[in-house]
Amino acid sequence: MINSVEVKNVSKRYKLYKKQSERILDLLVPYKDYGEDFFALQNVSFEVEQGSIVGLVGINGSGKSTLANIIAGVIPTTNGQVTSNGNVALIAVNAGLDGKLSGRENIELKLLMLGFSQKEITAMENEIIEFAELEKFIDQPVKTYSSGMKSRLGFSISVRVNPDILIVDEALSVGDKAFSEKSLDKMMEFKEKGKTMFFVSHSISQMRRFCDQILWLEFGVVKEYGATKEVLSKYESFLEEYKALSKTDKKKYRTRALNRQSKKNEEPAVL
Amino acid sequence: MKSAIKVIKEQVQFFYLVKRLSVYELRSLTRGNYLGAAWEIINPAIQILIYWFVFGFGIRQREDVGDIPYFQWMFAGILVWFFINNSVMKSSKSIYSKIRMLSKMNFPMSVIPNYTIFAQFYPHLILLAIGMVILQFIGFPISIYYLQLPIYIIGLLVFLFSLALITSTLATIIRDVQMLLQSVMRMLLYLSPILWPPTLLPDSWQPFMKLNPFYYVIEGYRYSLLGEGWYFIENPVYTLYFVGVVALTFLIGAYLHVKFRSQFIDFL
Repeated sequence: MINSVEVKNVSKRYKLYKKQSERILDLLVPYKDYGEDFFALQNVSFEVEQGSIVGLVGINGSGKSTLANIIAGVIPTTNGQVTSNGNVALIAVNAGLDGKLSGRENIELKLLMLGFSQKEITAMENEIIEFAELEKFIDQPVKTYSSGMKSRLGFSISVRVNPDILIVDEALSVGDKAFSEKSLDKMMEFKEKGKTMFFVSHSISQMRRFCDQILWLEFGVVKEYGATKEVLSKYESFLEEYKALSKTDKKKYRTRALNRQSKKNEEPAVL
Repeated sequence: MKSAIKVIKEQVQFFYLVKRLSVYELRSLTRGNYLGAAWEIINPAIQILIYWFVFGFGIRQREDVGDIPYFQWMFAGILVWFFINNSVMKSSKSIYSKIRMLSKMNFPMSVIPNYTIFAQFYPHLILLAIGMVILQFIGFPISIYYLQLPIYIIGLLVFLFSLALITSTLATIIRDVQMLLQSVMRMLLYLSPILWPPTLLPDSWQPFMKLNPFYYVIEGYRYSLLGEGWYFIENPVYTLYFVGVVALTFLIGAYLHVKFRSQFIDFL
């Protein structure tokens, strides 16, 4: 099997500034650091085989969306590298739609930017509109759409573009049941075609049904990576434990993790 | 130098996209008003009238500029100013306001400021055509000097793009640049030969006024539209200066843009 995505020692550092002046100083003064480092991801490494579906789990702030964006190439890494075989599409809630333009114009614009010719665009347009179930709303400005309609439009465009690697970042949680069923069917179809997919969601039942592997992130480091069944059951028991913690214990747990995130670790952190 | 060549290649390769994207940009800008794109004409018309009223009637008492009546003189210069002002303001915002939408696309980021400028360029051409028609009826018919107009148009487009590479990069990193630009542009309206002729100033001031590269473009437009002569031939040194400024701006812009573009998204 060929690896479709390889993530090697990826770290993502953000700077936290207390004041605006620190931000400017950090830009202008060389060889001196201002502000506090915060590592949203630390030394994340894993490989994904072609055709497998990976679920990203973790509590809020664990770096799932950051990782999804890095794999999609939307944000650059601070250290390490991501190699992906094929073109990647990221679907997030209302990502990349122009509110003033109509749904139809957004489809055209998006496809144009992805490098399709006028002929191809006209051919794909109707299919997308049909899949998105937007019928008469398609010529209304997107800013009047509900969040469900927006994510349906975004999903339909990304799916029709036929990417090799698809990353779905909680985009399905806003649609209604019927549409998310339809989307899951579409993704199953993709799975059969041997496409690689990443799936960020808080719905454990959806993950169980759909994913081959689970990557469990905790405060920016990989806690577990393996077969769905094992990792998910561990994750579930962790969630139970975490919920059962008292407020002060929860806070302690978070502070410990946050401290770890503000230093750079060369070694992969062990929890 | 390397980054300059890179940016030029990108513009050539994706010029088709620049043309197409600018149409959507223009639509997105004018959508939502009942009169839509008509405002691109109405707005300048109102401004021209008010400037004419204040500077032509109120302050200058309808005094001519050389042998050209004030209104015609101001009109030929201000037509291009609307384009300059809108392009500078819109293109400096272009990257940080669009990056979220465009971050994962199959084209280089240097296309973004370019197509925002082009979205302003179409209304400018229409305005220019209307201006030419009006000039026919107020004593300045079409002449051989119109032929030099494309030189200034192309020169201006290249300069605006070069400038946009700098301003859009700086404005993404430090948002205050946008506010600064707004003040500078308002200042330039009065420091360029648009509302009053800087030739009124003492001779020793003239060279300093001409450091502003927009001075060259505005005078070039005026010479073409009013048939005053061949501006670029009559002012060879100034022409060279303009070309030099454009080249330098482009080199700096391309360098900054290429250096920072992979990190733009982190500055939001």
